[in-house]
Amino acid sequence: MKPDTVNPVEAVVGLEIHVQLNCPTKLFCDCPNAPAEEPNRHVCPICLGLPGTVPRFSRAALERAALTGLALNCQIQPLSAFDQKVYYYPDLPKGYQLSQHHLPLARNGWLEIAGEDGRPRRLRIHHIHMEEDVAKLVHETEGRTKIGLVDFNRAGAPLVEIVTEPDLRSPYEAMEFLKGLRAQIRCAGTAECSMESGSMRCDANISIRAPGSDEMNAKVEVKNMNSVRAVGSAIAHEVARQSALVRQGRAVTVHTRLWDPDRNITAPMREKFAGPCIPDPVVPPIRAAEEWIEDLQRRLPEMPGPKRERLVREYGLTGDEAAQMSEDRETGDYFEALARAAGIPARTAAQWVASRLLPALKERGESPDRTAMTPARLAELLMMAEADRVSATAAREVFYLMLTSGRTATELVEEHGFAQIDEAGELEELIRGVMADHPAAVQDLRNGKDQAAGFLIGQAMRMSKGKANPMMLREILERQV
Amino acid sequence: MPIASPPSPASDSQTAPDLYRPLAPDADPTTDGLLSGSRICVQPRIAVGGWRMEAGSAALAGYVASEDAFVIERLRAGGAQLTGSVRIAEFGFGLEGDTTGPAVCRDNQAAVLADALGESRMIAAEHGLWAFQPSHGAVSRRGLAGLIPSMETLAVVARDAGTLERVLQAVVAPDALDPSMRQQNLPGFGSPAPDASSSTVGVVMEAVDRLDPKTRASFHQRLVEAAGRGLTFREATLPGWAMFRPVHHVIGSVEASSSAGRYDGVRYGHRVPGAANWNDMYLHSRAESFGALLKSYLFQGAGFQFLDYDAYENACRIRRRLVADVEALFGAVDLLALPVSPGAADAGATPSVSGIYDRFESTLPANVLGLPVLCHNGIQWIAPRYRDANLLALMTRLAGGVP
Repeated sequence: MKPDTVNPVEAVVGLEIHVQLNCPTKLFCDCPNAPAEEPNRHVCPICLGLPGTVPRFSRAALERAALTGLALNCQIQPLSAFDQKVYYYPDLPKGYQLSQHHLPLARNGWLEIAGEDGRPRRLRIHHIHMEEDVAKLVHETEGRTKIGLVDFNRAGAPLVEIVTEPDLRSPYEAMEFLKGLRAQIRCAGTAECSMESGSMRCDANISIRAPGSDEMNAKVEVKNMNSVRAVGSAIAHEVARQSALVRQGRAVTVHTRLWDPDRNITAPMREKFAGPCIPDPVVPPIRAAEEWIEDLQRRLPEMPGPKRERLVREYGLTGDEAAQMSEDRETGDYFEALARAAGIPARTAAQWVASRLLPALKERGESPDRTAMTPARLAELLMMAEADRVSATAAREVFYLMLTSGRTATELVEEHGFAQIDEAGELEELIRGVMADHPAAVQDLRNGKDQAAGFLIGQAMRMSKGKANPMMLREILERQV
Repeated sequence: MPIASPPSPASDSQTAPDLYRPLAPDADPTTDGLLSGSRICVQPRIAVGGWRMEAGSAALAGYVASEDAFVIERLRAGGAQLTGSVRIAEFGFGLEGDTTGPAVCRDNQAAVLADALGESRMIAAEHGLWAFQPSHGAVSRRGLAGLIPSMETLAVVARDAGTLERVLQAVVAPDALDPSMRQQNLPGFGSPAPDASSSTVGVVMEAVDRLDPKTRASFHQRLVEAAGRGLTFREATLPGWAMFRPVHHVIGSVEASSSAGRYDGVRYGHRVPGAANWNDMYLHSRAESFGALLKSYLFQGAGFQFLDYDAYENACRIRRRLVADVEALFGAVDLLALPVSPGAADAGATPSVSGIYDRFESTLPANVLGLPVLCHNGIQWIAPRYRDANLLALMTRLAGGVP
């Protein structure tokens, strides 16, 4: 569905984002927080909601939730408490979900993104509350009979739900918000935030209005988006769908829809029975002392925003380079260790990290903090390249050999003969040979066609198998021509 | 105050198997514990590992507890002989069909039960027993199939004050696995009694005024006897008396409705066969699982939750005010006294939810307030929060005739 360019509308979007905290245990019992493992492996009487069990609140989950709130510039509330959110569905062992409906853990946060015009946009977070995840339902057939299977591994996993104000105005802003949110939380180290694996899930509440209006019209909730891109696509589709309805003189009604990624459309879903929340009389209320909050604040690492600014200031990176190097804590730490160790221009280090290291690690399923290619090993290679002991081409080859061999850059350069040729006599002979083989190009160069120089140097590099010093080649060529 | 004689087994013609489901005796009971040799029965809402915990409801049909409740662990550690689980009304809501009193009279020294409305005091009043309901939060709820968590406390009914005290000494202890309970400064039972002459008791006149003249005279006579043993009495008024019942009814039914959500026939209990889909399964399983009386209570709670949530919020607000009012009252008196009557005699007849609330009206305040309460000879003695041990010691001393 295409956007209406004749009668433009403004999207009004609020997000509800569930993030699974990376705690060792579930929220109210000691079962491992490992939802992806073999079904129903991690269950106990508490997370199955068996009679007589009492929930035991995880302090580790509380700390991670509060750190998440602080990472998103929220105010941790002095008093928060759990409620019983009543509904009946097989994914909910107790018939109610423990969730902080009335007294959430954190309120009044914000996150800044770069708007579509490049200017900063501060998007508000209404609140963050903790809740337990529900079980996972699997639908299969047994012969011709449809069956529903329940995997309780996920039941009771610790979540925070981040609820934004309806401040987002476009699919772009929603996607940027999610990327920024993911970066902040990953940096805080409290969650993985992978939409693809389900550790971050996002629902969008979408309505439309005339540009410039401050009306809040009927909103439609869209679920089932499993990537940041899908969130953008679903919002774009829903805005166009609602615009079409309005153009036809039909009303937009409040309801819930599911994003269908195969057909790129939203479709109405059957509502779950949902009831109100009553305060849970068993889990004690959480009283957050000022000192505890201050301690957490001190434990919070440098967040991507301030880090970005510091990297520009201290290392002279461009804004884009700094943004890449501050996307998550591991990348930032790697870059700074490399830049300090290599004694080379920091921008060179950032470019190597962004264009070589990160793609290679992703391909190998590694991360900057879990790779044998340590900053010290890479620094050795970059120093060799910077000192013209290996050419840029050779450095790239050595880099990939280092990833798989565990040998040092010096050893590999020596072993594979990658050392750069910078002996003048050898290079002069190389240039003479190239000039003899390509007289027309030499004539072009003499006639003032500078591109011919690039061609001739390229031939020389090829003949030297990338080992010739290109700067010296150019000097010799100019001299001889 | 007269000292109750231990009830005679002959006074009850029922036989043990009619009264409760006997348990196999412990293979290796502790012989030198506080409760060695004491025969204690429990409600089937309290988990005893390996035994059915059906709570008098089809919703838990066939459910076998996998481990002991905390209080059962403590009773076993104390050397108690667990004799069996009594028969109770569905989820212990009211006393219809309840055999706790006869079971204690017949061949047990005590029973442990959950008290949400005042059931333990009603049983004690009707059968001439002692009952004690500790402060809310002083006894672990781990292992209790609860219904009204914020009003409900595990209580003890016993033949005599000594057994009552020993059972309370065993079960009132910190349980690190129950975050809802108070973990520190729990009442230490077994402490010396305070001097009765220094204790002033406020008699709750709103409760006394409901008594018929004969019962009132009898109640008055018992207070006179207690005064003769050193207690000082004065009239007291609870300004919010009329609110205890609606507050309990609204909050209790809402909590019950939510708590009973887990009894859905998915993992245990009754499930209808051949349901067309999940929603159908829930609808019919739950419709068949609960009896008419409890279902009516759950519906009322659901009604407040879904249709009149303001009523629930108001009830919570009023409850906080009632707690504050009574705390203020304890600035002027040490204890409150009020009769169990008029409901005790026919507490087992439960025609309706409102009928239950009619009968339990006098016992609701202690549950709404979460305060420790002792019942003996038809009088409820309510103490400030966590003054449980003082209350029991004082009443034991008075019953023994020592001023």
